[in-house]
Amino acid sequence: MTLDLRALESNPDLLLTPGDDRDTLILSMGPQHPSTHGVLRVMLKLDGETVITAEPEIGFLHTGIEKQAENLFWQQAITVVDRADYLAPLSNSLCYVLAAERLLDIDRQIPERARVLRVMFTELTRLASHLVWLGTHCLDLGAQSIFFYAFEMRERILSIMEFVTGARMHQSWFRIGGLAIDVPKGFLDTIDDFIGRFPDRLNDMRAIVEKNVIIVDRLVGIGKIGQQEAIDWGLTGPPLRATGIAYDVRRAHPYCDYDTYEFEVPTQTAGDCYARFVVRLDEMVQSWRIIKQARERFPGGPVVIDDRKIVPPPKTEIQHSMEALIHHFKLVSSGFNVPEGHIYQAVEGPRGEMGMYVTSAGGNKPWRVRWRPSSFYHTQALKRLAPGNLIADVVAIIGSMDPVFGDVDR
Amino acid sequence: MPEIVNPHPERAGIAELVPELTKAAGEDFLEAVSEDDMDEIALRPGGLLAVITRLREAGFNLLLDVGGTDHHPLTPRFEISYILTAIPLGDVRDPYRFFGLKRFRLRVFPNDSDPVVPTLSDLWPSANWAEREIFDLFGVRFEGHPDLRRILNPDDWKGYPLRKDYPLRGLERRFAAGGHVGPVPPLRES
Repeated sequence: MTLDLRALESNPDLLLTPGDDRDTLILSMGPQHPSTHGVLRVMLKLDGETVITAEPEIGFLHTGIEKQAENLFWQQAITVVDRADYLAPLSNSLCYVLAAERLLDIDRQIPERARVLRVMFTELTRLASHLVWLGTHCLDLGAQSIFFYAFEMRERILSIMEFVTGARMHQSWFRIGGLAIDVPKGFLDTIDDFIGRFPDRLNDMRAIVEKNVIIVDRLVGIGKIGQQEAIDWGLTGPPLRATGIAYDVRRAHPYCDYDTYEFEVPTQTAGDCYARFVVRLDEMVQSWRIIKQARERFPGGPVVIDDRKIVPPPKTEIQHSMEALIHHFKLVSSGFNVPEGHIYQAVEGPRGEMGMYVTSAGGNKPWRVRWRPSSFYHTQALKRLAPGNLIADVVAIIGSMDPVFGDVDR
Repeated sequence: MPEIVNPHPERAGIAELVPELTKAAGEDFLEAVSEDDMDEIALRPGGLLAVITRLREAGFNLLLDVGGTDHHPLTPRFEISYILTAIPLGDVRDPYRFFGLKRFRLRVFPNDSDPVVPTLSDLWPSANWAEREIFDLFGVRFEGHPDLRRILNPDDWKGYPLRKDYPLRGLERRFAAGGHVGPVPPLRES
């Protein structure tokens, strides 16, 4: 691959202009820089070590997931949807599944057990995602040991996922109409063990980092953004809540009975990297509270709706009933049709408002699945946040925005 | 937990807004619909700036998303959808204040042969990349955009992948060993 000269040429921000002196330097940071969390390239124009302009370049992980989703049946598309934001696969699929259920008008029939398990597992996903963020962000800032604490805890979550769904990362466990399978025997012991263990371990982690003088020095006052600008740049989730705006989709547009759970929406007012840091740490406590409440409820009953046109009949029935066999065959070979329409469904993902604008043309495949990738907008905001800071602070800012490039590039 | 009185609290005050928006759009107004998720207005690109300015005055300050859809072979073919929401500013640390936050959608239908839509990137910096993405994937141009380049695909990519007439596979083989360029063999059907 040759150097992308064309992009440089057509972007006047990245060229030396007559006002620049001999110390001005253009630096390409990434796409393989360890602190860019995957595949982000930031073109920096520097004066000494101070950033003058920053131009993030994305697209290195573009795999055409939206195009693929258009070419799969409604139920099959969950598998590619999972792979967009790969640190929070269940949040993605929840969003897609809720949108499809609303188009099918079955959203009020989803059994309570499925709703409780959906809440429990999206919150587990949020914890897993925030733990990766905590580990890698601190690693970027030079703290090694916290990484091991965080990943040990994440490993426990992934083990629960594997135990329940059979997959550690891309579970595809939420389905249109409920869940793919019920939880196995022994699940409650596993989740109780986790619920019992997590607070102590989180307190350990907080004790290491939260008041750590190096972390505080590296983060306080860096990458500051005010409320109005945060709105203008399309920030949602923790970066928006760090400016004092308690906008959380779980409270603003409740789904899966989130309005009946007790939890707080942590906010900070400073709007800098440290505020975002503390907001995420506080969110982990709230997620734990929600998981605990979901565990206390944990109702019995089915995990899928009883609608043979959408959910295949149980295997035992297929062996005895011709009609059940036909339903099974139809669902596997050609899926089901979804009535014409379009809908915007949002869920609160770990990174921010994870929205989907789903259009159906009445067929058995989605006509269009448009993401609202929160990481995309957060990465774009680097253009605003990085200038004026040092190169080392750019690393802190990228980490505090917590972009996931599967989500940015799709 | 506030008591739910209005089944659609997010729509409060929007119905009164619609006639004004219709007037602002003038001849470019197509239709106003109350959909399952939110109210929306469909219009031609000419009325976009007037309508969006009016919406901004009415408090819709967060441009949540700009998305594209290709309705090919139906016409009008391209749809650009803008999803807006009204976020209160100031001391708003009570999450229940956001319950039933107002949302609004604009659907803009440019013409098929030369799709052009005015840019919003001078109103919202966040629209900059979102519009570049639509340009990249659908080939819809945004008039007045400061930096309209491809964003997800390489700069020398040909075609617009999310158009419905762009095949899922079967294009030229681009990255074969030895610099070979040729058609991709068809999928074996069996």
